[in-house]
Amino acid sequence: MVWFVQILGIGLMFALSPLFWGITQTTKARLQRRRGPSLWQPYWVIAKNWQKDTTVPEFSSLIFRLAPSITMAALVAILISIPVAGQVPASWPRNLLTVFFLLALERFWTGLAGLDAAGTFGGLGASRVTTLGTGIEPALLAALGIVWGVSGHATIRPLAPLLHASPARLFPWVLASVSLALVLLAEWGRLPVDNPDTHLELTMIHEATLLEYDGRFLALAEWAMALKVTALATLGWVLLGPNCRSLWANLALRLGEVGLTAIAIGVVESRFTKVRFFRIPMYLAAAAGIGVLAFYLVAGGFSG
Amino acid sequence: MLGGLLALAALATVTYRRERITRTMSLLLSIGILTYGVIGLWHDTPWGSWAGLVQLTGLRSWFLVILGLVATMSTWYSVGYHGLRPSAHFWLPMFLFSMLVVILAANLWVFMTAWESMTITSFFLVTTHPWRPNVLKSGYIYLVMSQISAMLILSGFMMIDAHLHTAQFAVWASRASALPLATKSLIFALLGLGFGVKSGVVPFHIWLPRAHPVAPAPVSSLMSGAMIKLGIFGIVQFLLLDLGPSNHFWPWIILAVGAASSLLGVLYALMEHDVKRLLAYHSIENIGIILLGLGVMSLGIDRHHPLWVALGLVASMFHTLNHAVFKSQLFLAAGAVEQHTGSLDIDHLGGLIRTIPGIALGFMMGSMAISALPPFNGFISEWLTFRGVLDLIGPGSATLSLYGLGLAMVLALTGALASLCFVKASGLTFLGEPRHPVDHHPLPLSMVGSVLGLGIVALVLGVVPQPVLNVLYHIDPVVRIAPATLLVPLHIRVIVGVLVIGSALFAGISRVWEVRTVPRWACGRMPDSAMQYTSQSFTKSIRTTFALIYRPQRTIVRLGADAPDFPDTIVYRGKTVSIWEQYLYRPAYNTIWRVSHWSTRIQRGPVRLYLAYLLGTVGILLAVLH
Repeated sequence: MVWFVQILGIGLMFALSPLFWGITQTTKARLQRRRGPSLWQPYWVIAKNWQKDTTVPEFSSLIFRLAPSITMAALVAILISIPVAGQVPASWPRNLLTVFFLLALERFWTGLAGLDAAGTFGGLGASRVTTLGTGIEPALLAALGIVWGVSGHATIRPLAPLLHASPARLFPWVLASVSLALVLLAEWGRLPVDNPDTHLELTMIHEATLLEYDGRFLALAEWAMALKVTALATLGWVLLGPNCRSLWANLALRLGEVGLTAIAIGVVESRFTKVRFFRIPMYLAAAAGIGVLAFYLVAGGFSG
Repeated sequence: MLGGLLALAALATVTYRRERITRTMSLLLSIGILTYGVIGLWHDTPWGSWAGLVQLTGLRSWFLVILGLVATMSTWYSVGYHGLRPSAHFWLPMFLFSMLVVILAANLWVFMTAWESMTITSFFLVTTHPWRPNVLKSGYIYLVMSQISAMLILSGFMMIDAHLHTAQFAVWASRASALPLATKSLIFALLGLGFGVKSGVVPFHIWLPRAHPVAPAPVSSLMSGAMIKLGIFGIVQFLLLDLGPSNHFWPWIILAVGAASSLLGVLYALMEHDVKRLLAYHSIENIGIILLGLGVMSLGIDRHHPLWVALGLVASMFHTLNHAVFKSQLFLAAGAVEQHTGSLDIDHLGGLIRTIPGIALGFMMGSMAISALPPFNGFISEWLTFRGVLDLIGPGSATLSLYGLGLAMVLALTGALASLCFVKASGLTFLGEPRHPVDHHPLPLSMVGSVLGLGIVALVLGVVPQPVLNVLYHIDPVVRIAPATLLVPLHIRVIVGVLVIGSALFAGISRVWEVRTVPRWACGRMPDSAMQYTSQSFTKSIRTTFALIYRPQRTIVRLGADAPDFPDTIVYRGKTVSIWEQYLYRPAYNTIWRVSHWSTRIQRGPVRLYLAYLLGTVGILLAVLH
C-alpha cells in the first residue's frame, strides 16, 4: 500500500504540475479583473509546442539538445526523493542533502545550455541563473536548517510531530516557514526575483536561457519549470506542513496544499514588483538570516 | 619492489635524451607505484633490507594509489604532449620517485631528504621554459614558499625528535600522543603551518596560482593532483593520527582555515580567464574542502566521537582521491586545449566541442565532478563532507550546532560558486561560436585517452563508491564504524538510475536527433561571435556582490581628437586587487628588503671583521653557557 500510494503521489504531482501553473495564471488574471485563460491552458501550450518543428540555433551542440532532458531528469529525481504522502517504504531514497546536489545539477545544465546557444541572451541568462544559485543554495540550507535542528539528520519526512512537540517550537516553525517561502520564490524564478511572464529580454533570468528553445525542447523545459514549483512546494509542505495519519488523506492534503501554494504565488505576483538584480543578494540574505534564527531557537531549545 | 622502482627511476633519468625510452620508463615507474599502493592496501609487504628506512601503512598505501593513478595518466598523456623538453624528462622521474619516498619514509631524515628533493625537482619542472615571461619569477616564489614550508616542518619534526629521542615515525605514532600539551600545541603550529604552506591553504596560497599555470600540463597535473596532497598526508599522519587529542582550540583553526580556503579559493578562481590559473585556484578551494573534513575528524578525536572521526576521515580521504582524479583530468584537458589552439585564454576560445569533442567531453565530465554533481565522484565526497559538518548539529550545544550549520552554508556557497565557475570555464571554452580564429592542431590519441580515462575513473568512483569506502576502513585502526554504512541514506544507485534512465527517456521522446538549424536571435541584427558573453561579463554580478573581497577597479580611457565627447576608441580596463598580496606579502617583502639592506652595514667585506664577529660570538656563547 505504501509503495502504491508513493508511486501514485509521484505520478500525480508530475502529471498535474502544469495544472498548478495554470492555477497561478488564473489567480493572477482574476486579481487583474480578467477572466484569463482556462486552467488547462499550460497543457495546450505544451501540446502545441510538442507538435511544432524543433529548431536549434547555429553553433549549438548536443549539449543544447540534451539539457532539457537532463534538467527534467534531475527534477524527477528530486520528486522521487520526497515522500509525497508522508510515508515511504524503508528502502526508498529520501535524503534532503541529495536534493541540493540535484538542484545544482539542474542549474549547471541550464547554464551550459544558455552558453551553448551562442547568443547574448543565453550567456546573460546563464550568468544570472548561476549567480542566483550562489545565493539560493546557502539560503535554502539555512531555511531548512530546522530539519537538522529538530531531527538531527537529513531524512525527508513529516516533522510535524517533532515541531509541535513543545510550544517553544511554534515561533521557530513560523520563522522557518517564512524563510523557506522566501527562498523558494527565488528558486522557482517567480516575482519578486524573476518574472516568468516577462517578454523583455533584458529583464529575463531563467527565460533568457530558454530563449533559443523551441518545439519539443521548449515543451520539456516548460514542463520542467512547472515541475520544479510542484516538487519543491511538495517538499516544503511534507517537511513543515500538517500531517494526517491516513495515507490517502495525506495525499489529498498534499494536492490541496500545492494548489494553495499556486494561488499564493499568484497573489504574491500581483502584489509585488521585481527587485533589482543587485538587490537580490540582500533579499536572500534576509531569508537566510530568518532561517538561521529559527534554527538557533530550535537548537537552543535542544540544550535547555 | 622498491629497488625495482628505484632502478626504473634511475634508468628513466639517465636516458633523458632518448624520449621514447625515458617515457616508457616513467610510465612503468608510475604503474609500479600504483600497483605497489594497491597491493599495500590489502596486505603488508615484507621489507628486507629497506626496513627502518621505509614503511607502508594503510594511509600511505592510499596516498600511493593517488600518486600512482595521477602519475600513470600524466605520463601516458605526455607521450603526445609537445611541451616537455629533455630537461623535463630528466627531472620528472626524480620528482615521481621523491614523492614516492616522501609517502613511504619511515624516519625524519628520509622524509626531509625526499621532501626537499621533491621541491627542487618540481622547481626545475615548473621552470621547464625559463625564457617565457613570468616563469622564473613564479618558480622563485614557489621555491621560497616551499623552503619556508620545509623549515617549519623540519623544526616541528626536530621538536618531536628532541622530546621522544628517536627519529622513527613508527615510534612517534605510538608515543607522540603522550607529549605535554604545550609541546603538542607548538608542534601543531609548526607542522600545521609547514604542511599548510605546501598544500596551498589561504593565506599561503600565493605560490599555487603562479607555479601551476607556467608548468607543462603533465607537471601541473602531478603537482595539483599529487604533490599538494602530500601536505594533506602530513596533516593527517602527523597532526591528527600521531598527536591525537590536543588543545580544544585546534580543530576550530582547521575548520576556519578550511572554510576560508574553500570560499576564497573559488572566489579568486571566478575572476580568472586563463584556464590553468582558474584550475590552480580551484585546487585551493578543494584543499579547503578536504580541511573541512579533517576539521570534523579532529573535533571527533578531541571529543571522543567515533562517528565524526569516521565521517571526517572518510570524507577528506575520499575527496583527496577524487580531487586528484578530476583535477589532473582538467589540467590535462587544459594542456590539450593549449596544444590544440595555442591559447588558454577563455575569452579567445569557444566552440572547441566541434574540433576536439573528446577533450570537451572530458573537460565537462571533470567540471561536473569538481562541481560535485551526481553521478560523478565529487558528489559522493562532498556529500560526505556535508554530512560530517551537519552532524555537528546535535543536542550537545547550540553554539556547536550553529557552527555546523554555518560551515555547511559556507560549503553550499562554495559549491554553488564552483558550479558557476565551471559553467563559465567549460561553456565559454567549448561551447558557442569561436571568439577568435585560431589554428587547430590535431591531438594524438594518448592525450584524449588519458583525459577520458580519468573521466571514466571519476564516473566509476561516483557510481560505485562502496568498495572504495571499504578500503578506507584500513586506514585508521581506531575507527570502529564501517565506512560503507555512511553512504546508506544516499541510495546512490537509485539516484543515478533515475538520472540516467530519465535523461535517456526524455532525450528519446523529445527526439534530440531530429532538429533543424536556424540563425540565433540577435534582436534583428546580424549575429556575430563578439556578442557572446565573456569571462568578465559572466562574473560581473559576482564581482559586484563580493566587491569587499575583490576591490574591483576599472578605468575607461577615451582616445581620439574629439575625446571625451566623440572618441575614436574607448579602452576599458578592469582588474581586481589581491588583498593578500597588497596587505600581507608586499609589506612583508618590503620589511625583509629593508632589514637586509640595513644589515649590509655590518657586512663590509674585510676578513678580519668577520673573524672578529666569530670571536665575539664564541665569547658570548661561552659566557652564556657557563
